[in-house]
Amino acid sequence: MDYVIDLLIIGLSVGMVYALVALGISLIYSGLDIVHFAHGEIYMLGAFIGLMLFQHLALPYVPTLVLAIVLTGLLGVLIERLFYRRLTRAGGGYTVAGMGMIIAGFGMSIVLQNIAFLVWGAKPLPFPVPFGRPLEIGNLTLPMSYAWIVAAAVVLMLGLNLILKKTMLGLAMRAVAYNKDIAYLSGVNVPLMISVIFGIGCALGAAAGVLIGPINYVQVQMGVAVLIKAFAAAVVGGFGSLPGAIVGGLLVGVVESLGAGLVSGTYKDVYAFILLILVLMLKPSGMLGVEAKMKA
Amino acid sequence: MLEIDNLVAGYGSIQILNGASLKVGRGQIVALLGGNGTGKSTLLKAISGLIRPRSGSIAFAGERVDGLRPDRIVRRGLVQVTQGKEAFPAMTVEENLRLGAYVVGDRSNRAANMERVYGYFPVLKQKRSQLSATLSGGQLQMLCIGRGLMSNPTMIMLDEPSAALAPQVVLDIFRTINRICRDGMTVLMVEQNVRMALLLAHYGYVIKDGIIHIEGTAAELMHDDNVRLSYLGGTVANREAQL
Repeated sequence: MDYVIDLLIIGLSVGMVYALVALGISLIYSGLDIVHFAHGEIYMLGAFIGLMLFQHLALPYVPTLVLAIVLTGLLGVLIERLFYRRLTRAGGGYTVAGMGMIIAGFGMSIVLQNIAFLVWGAKPLPFPVPFGRPLEIGNLTLPMSYAWIVAAAVVLMLGLNLILKKTMLGLAMRAVAYNKDIAYLSGVNVPLMISVIFGIGCALGAAAGVLIGPINYVQVQMGVAVLIKAFAAAVVGGFGSLPGAIVGGLLVGVVESLGAGLVSGTYKDVYAFILLILVLMLKPSGMLGVEAKMKA
Repeated sequence: MLEIDNLVAGYGSIQILNGASLKVGRGQIVALLGGNGTGKSTLLKAISGLIRPRSGSIAFAGERVDGLRPDRIVRRGLVQVTQGKEAFPAMTVEENLRLGAYVVGDRSNRAANMERVYGYFPVLKQKRSQLSATLSGGQLQMLCIGRGLMSNPTMIMLDEPSAALAPQVVLDIFRTINRICRDGMTVLMVEQNVRMALLLAHYGYVIKDGIIHIEGTAAELMHDDNVRLSYLGGTVANREAQL
């Protein structure tokens, strides 16, 4: 029984990481109407930037996390301004440029991976954070790294919710997500808001990267698997729905962890996709799926 | 207040406005009339910046605004309320209104604007915490006009405020538009409901094939044979008989 609880704890914390990446993907999808296929690489860059800050500037973990989130968010804004913006503009404004955008996303993913390879090399790098002794609750031991993931992810999710629900910025983000023309006519600077949405999406991905770093190694390829898992999470939860991304992420994490622990570790990566297929068969709109244009 | 000269605009390869010119004086209600597909909505979109004019000029309060981004035009005090009662269904009534005051920096000014809007449309105050998806058509139209007023504009453009509404509701909304105008607002109104529009407006333009076809004071247009024939229903003769 304790073993199952351990698996659940691991599943939930890894699920939080998937949830953060999925949240970024869903946020970008709802705001920009693009599926951002280079989001795994944003996660990877976030982890590397975090590692550099941690090792070379010798920052403590929390400032490392915050700074990596901010820097990667700004990097995201730069990528959107320099590359994606041209494509969306060519698509008649600021939305759907169809296939071109998807291909550009894949291209960006390859470019970013190779840049990371040139800078940091192919070898997995350790991200050794001295978290201290594991938490002991009854006869359970919970490594601090997992506790950190859950705590930081919850703080970020609550923060995002607070921004979206309570601030003028959040109101404008939701408006842009639902209808860009009406947002414009309400006086919102839509191009700026699109950059903000993309930046926040990237910041969430970076947070996930920095949080997973101490558990896994940091390496150039780390974004590939996470993108697919986060994608599965977003679809399971209902694509474009922010609460759905969180529920989907946690579910994928738990199913994966229980599957690996109780059935067979060899097929660790399969369970998420079994879940994905089941959801697509039984409820194609996802668990918290929303009507196409109800995403504001 | 607003001066449009020889405006040409369209979408992609289709040109819809072929050199429209019109003027709206301060404090006036001006009606822009015409059938479907004549360029009424395109003209409003070009003024509000949603589409970029190909040539011609738009001057608002003495300054050129053509080519500016829509949010900049809102900041200058010129606001458009689009056709089709487009609100944000997943936001509450109050959130919709607050969004309209996005360009208003000061919190207390936003609150004052909201009270003013609630004064014009008391029903919105009752429904302030409901999602706008739950509103009726008339209430949605009020919400959209209210959202436009939230930025405290000096001129508002309304695209078919009477569309798809019950006559009683239309009357209500038109009365309120009249009140808003008497409080100092300049109004440019696109309408298919020509009779109602001319009752309310000071001046009117009839647009056809992307250019201004007929213009005149509301009284002149009411008695213009072309307008009566085309937009007020019936022939000139049986119209006389009705009167």
